[in-house]
Amino acid sequence: MSSEVFSLESQDGNAVGQSWKRTNSESKVMGTFRYTADLPVPKCLYLGVHRANQPHARIDGIETESAMAIPGVVKVITGADLYDALGENLFTGPAFSDQPPVAWQRVRYVGEPVAVVLAEDLATARAAADEIYVEYEFITPVLDVNAALEGTDYVHDELRPSAVFPDLRHLMGKRDTNVNYEYNLIRGDSETAHQEAPVTVSGEFWTPPTSHVAIENFSASAWVEENRLELVSTTQTPSYVRQAIATMLNLRLNQVRVRTLGLGGSFGSKMYDRLEPLVAAIAWTQKLPVRLELTREEAFVLTTRHGVAVSSRMSADANGNIVAATADVRYDTGAYADIGPRIAAKSGMVACGPYRIENAKIKSRCIYTNKPSAGPFRGFGVPQVTWSHESLVDDLARDLGEDPARFRRRNLLREGDVSPVGTVMHSADFIGCLDAVTEAIGWTDPLEKIEGSWKWGRGVAVGIKAVLTPTVSNAVLQLNQDASATLLISTVDMGQGSDTIMAQIVADVLFLGPDRVRVINPDTDVTPYDTITAGSRSTYHTGNAVKKAAETMRDRLIEIAAKQMGVSASDCKLAPGGVISSSSQRLISLEDLILSQFGAAGTTMTAEANFTTEWVPYDRTTGQSTKITEHWFAGAAAAELGVDTRTGRIRIRHLAVAGDVGRAINPALVNQQLLGGAIMGMGHALFDEIVFDQGQIVNGTLLDYQLPSIKDMPEKLTPIIVENPHRTGPFGAKGVGETGLIPIAPAIANAVRDAIGIRITTLPLTPEKVLSALANQGNK
Amino acid sequence: MNLTLNINGTVHSVYCAEGDLLLDVLRRLGFTSVREGCGVGACGSCTVLVDGHSVSSCLTLASRCSGTEIRTSEGLGKDNPVVRAFVDEGALQCGYCIPGFVMMATELLSENPHPNEKEIADHLEGNICRCGTYREIVKAVLLASSSASN
Amino acid sequence: MNPRILRPESLADACALLSQDEDALVYGGGTALQILRKQGILSASSFVDISGIPGLNNLHHTGNELLVGPMVSIRRMETDPVVRESVPIASAAYAKVANPRVRNTATVGGNIAHGDYRLDPPVALLVLGATIKATSTAGTRAIPIDKFFIDFQLTALNRGEIVTSIEIPISNDVVASTFVKFSSLSANDWPSASAAAAIVARDGEAQILRLALGALAPTPVMTAVDITGMREAQATEAAVESAMLIMDPLPDVRGGVEYKRNLGRIAVENAVRNLWRDRQSV
Repeated sequence: MSSEVFSLESQDGNAVGQSWKRTNSESKVMGTFRYTADLPVPKCLYLGVHRANQPHARIDGIETESAMAIPGVVKVITGADLYDALGENLFTGPAFSDQPPVAWQRVRYVGEPVAVVLAEDLATARAAADEIYVEYEFITPVLDVNAALEGTDYVHDELRPSAVFPDLRHLMGKRDTNVNYEYNLIRGDSETAHQEAPVTVSGEFWTPPTSHVAIENFSASAWVEENRLELVSTTQTPSYVRQAIATMLNLRLNQVRVRTLGLGGSFGSKMYDRLEPLVAAIAWTQKLPVRLELTREEAFVLTTRHGVAVSSRMSADANGNIVAATADVRYDTGAYADIGPRIAAKSGMVACGPYRIENAKIKSRCIYTNKPSAGPFRGFGVPQVTWSHESLVDDLARDLGEDPARFRRRNLLREGDVSPVGTVMHSADFIGCLDAVTEAIGWTDPLEKIEGSWKWGRGVAVGIKAVLTPTVSNAVLQLNQDASATLLISTVDMGQGSDTIMAQIVADVLFLGPDRVRVINPDTDVTPYDTITAGSRSTYHTGNAVKKAAETMRDRLIEIAAKQMGVSASDCKLAPGGVISSSSQRLISLEDLILSQFGAAGTTMTAEANFTTEWVPYDRTTGQSTKITEHWFAGAAAAELGVDTRTGRIRIRHLAVAGDVGRAINPALVNQQLLGGAIMGMGHALFDEIVFDQGQIVNGTLLDYQLPSIKDMPEKLTPIIVENPHRTGPFGAKGVGETGLIPIAPAIANAVRDAIGIRITTLPLTPEKVLSALANQGNK
Repeated sequence: MNLTLNINGTVHSVYCAEGDLLLDVLRRLGFTSVREGCGVGACGSCTVLVDGHSVSSCLTLASRCSGTEIRTSEGLGKDNPVVRAFVDEGALQCGYCIPGFVMMATELLSENPHPNEKEIADHLEGNICRCGTYREIVKAVLLASSSASN
Repeated sequence: MNPRILRPESLADACALLSQDEDALVYGGGTALQILRKQGILSASSFVDISGIPGLNNLHHTGNELLVGPMVSIRRMETDPVVRESVPIASAAYAKVANPRVRNTATVGGNIAHGDYRLDPPVALLVLGATIKATSTAGTRAIPIDKFFIDFQLTALNRGEIVTSIEIPISNDVVASTFVKFSSLSANDWPSASAAAAIVARDGEAQILRLALGALAPTPVMTAVDITGMREAQATEAAVESAMLIMDPLPDVRGGVEYKRNLGRIAVENAVRNLWRDRQSV
């Protein structure tokens, strides 16, 4: 049982907990680092996409002759061409097989691909795409998430759940509905509890769709090599893409190779089926190498964050305990379900917040409309419900005349509590996060509340999110004879820093220094399966697989060394510089050890490990589960800000954000994730919003779409790392990618309410909205 | 048309269409630091210096640049004080937008060797870092400013 | 397809090229044209690149006028000490255009010819009473700035005309001047309201408040108010009253009509406040 003897956390290689410089810092700063679009591929034909100008219509005819007449144009492909070749396999999607890469018979959103030009160069492909003419027959569009529930117009004739999730199977063939999924949580008797409670608050909340706008845009290339499909793509889900493409083209998994390099940001956008089904379907059916690069305007219609409506209520007793919460959550998932049904379930279920609530009722629905398909976005639907529960909790505290932070503190879930979804809490220190951010901004310090036309206030909010469960991670670690290591994982480094922290985990276990561990970019021919790089799951899940692989390697090194030194394995331990025997104090370097083992320079040793999590599926009626998730993310934010009552403009003086990360493998990177999430959340709070008119995006360029710039920064930003080690986290660690974003918008809105006494329930808090709220207040 | 471009001190002869944008020509030549983020001059990821002045190469005709000195971040070298400062301050996350910030900072420091935080913000306001690394970027420019004068 | 790029080396050649092809457009800095081309809004057969014509990027101080060539960059207007000293509000307005990269590339001539109602420089030029010189094969004509902006995205320039200079009067009668700009969304967004204002002395005691507004009507608009003998509060009221009459904001993603009118009013109030502060300190 050598592993038990030697699995000592005290054998600390001193890499974990250090703020190592980000891998490839220098090349990224100089610009020589290669992103996915820079990876050499065979000479490809470029694709230009002709897109629908109708939100909902039947395709009556597609005229391609003028496009074909342009020199350099090789072919034009329509949805019908692809359907003829692939049949029903053309329809893909992670939850529902409802989306064709090119529209077939019917378009369902403005911007949907209708025909694809293959041309010698990009400019010709795009110009020719403009020369395609489509005849449409109008179908009444469904443009609003509430109208989608009440009306008799339907985006899809029937539901088509995919094979991936067995619990969706019962929805197959369901007709006359725009609701593709409904999750219900029932605990206690919320109706009676609301009625009996002395204080109840309620609201109609709305968060608009937003765009991820990773500055690296989407691109994908595909070609056929022998009898295999090669795909290079900006994806954060290479393992998923391999499976999806193999299914679509009816290939074995080893006939599909998916590669991606580091990504220039993603934030949930480069997930599941993006460009890959389109390039793969064309490359495979036409046996031609093809490449697709989107313009920014095209990226706006590729995927968005869900716009979400929440009707919610919360009640407290006279002692200030929350006794009941109700929420009706409607996720506007657009024309195709994407992962919306999972978002509706797994994020809807926290719509009551991280509070001890005995009576809770949540209905969370995922609803089709004729708009671009909404998918995952940093926070996976949770920020939208947090907007509701953190506004309500604040109102409840104020109605009771209590400090909102103190009110939260009393009601927040603690270690060992059972959450409203039925799962016991562990390693989610909401109170620690709340205390940290309120202390940081000087919550109880006196505040000059009025200065000329400016009114000042403070607000706080907390956030809870469950990590994606169940999932699978694998790691293959190769130790080279010169004591350098090569780590094969399918985690995608898109700026969160996974290449750095996975290297730190290996280095810590094996006593290797910085720059000694190389992490191989995802290549499904080489790197093992990993569910997805998303949902803040990699540090914990892949990190655990990596740690296990490194520990296996360590144990084998000790065994070999023991044999070579003629001592027992229990006498040996790995130490800086090699394996040391306690009895003889002899040290064998790793270089010598591996050299003598194999008798050759440059040899390698390989260890692999798997880390899989499990859950207890929730009850279909009550939504309850004793293990809904492997672990929870806990975070909080506090803001001190001013509202200019003349212009309606909000100026943030101090924004503090805290996350319980279990343990920070790399504190500098954790701080950057917290702040990066906070800044993105601040954009969502103040101005970031996709605006539609009749299903058409009206601000879909970066001239009009607003993102936070350096000038929008709060005067002061404070990230705070809270560490409550998770019992099964690698070194106690959990992820942090979304934690910083989740509570930001309500923290800001709560501060606005503190400043001007008005609750605004729709995001973003534009100056116009603030001014009109002030005017309404004056009229009352 | 044939075009002669002086890029980072090296003369490149390229064949291109008369309407080609500097961004596309530089990428074809392998200068991967120059990236299209928005195509409309609003994000700054395609920033290069032309005769010392920052431009959005996505809006600049390549043919206009013959006879000028073009600098991209690859040409700064790893010992450049701005590059060093960004690395040392950890002023990057995904890194995609960073060369654009580096070039804007290079222009700023050449015009104003000791900018304060407001002047830094005024100069970098047209560059978007979607990862939200602004705090570290400001620190890096301040560090580059002080290290260049030492 | 993409426009041809023509590169005349003299003004006469440029005018000739433009007269021969009515779908040709003058290419200055090209920032706006490239964006419009990419958005598919532009249908130009050719771009007449005037960067090779000598003399078009001159900046000349005559004593009572600043003569600005059309190819002078926006950024030079922002940073050149001569501009800063002689016409500070022009410099301040040019400094607010887009971002430094765009300002390095975009030109004074292109900026005004674009005719966008939200642009910052026109409001300053309106207050200063600039004159636009436009040249074509028919000769050169002078267009007073207050006759230049005709309607939404429409200027007084005829097909075939090139902006060949902007003449900005430098007057000792300008007692104080200011430029105010508000965006409604992110800090670096297009303005939702801008105002340039100047107090101009006339005939000794009389004082005129010249006021121009940007982003608040389909074109930049201007008004003037006699504020002789007024206190700040009276002047503010008079300026606001006059400004409200010329506001006709276009609703868009940045705000509705009422919101923009309100922001316009605040821009005017702030502008007058700035003027009074500067006047006191003179």
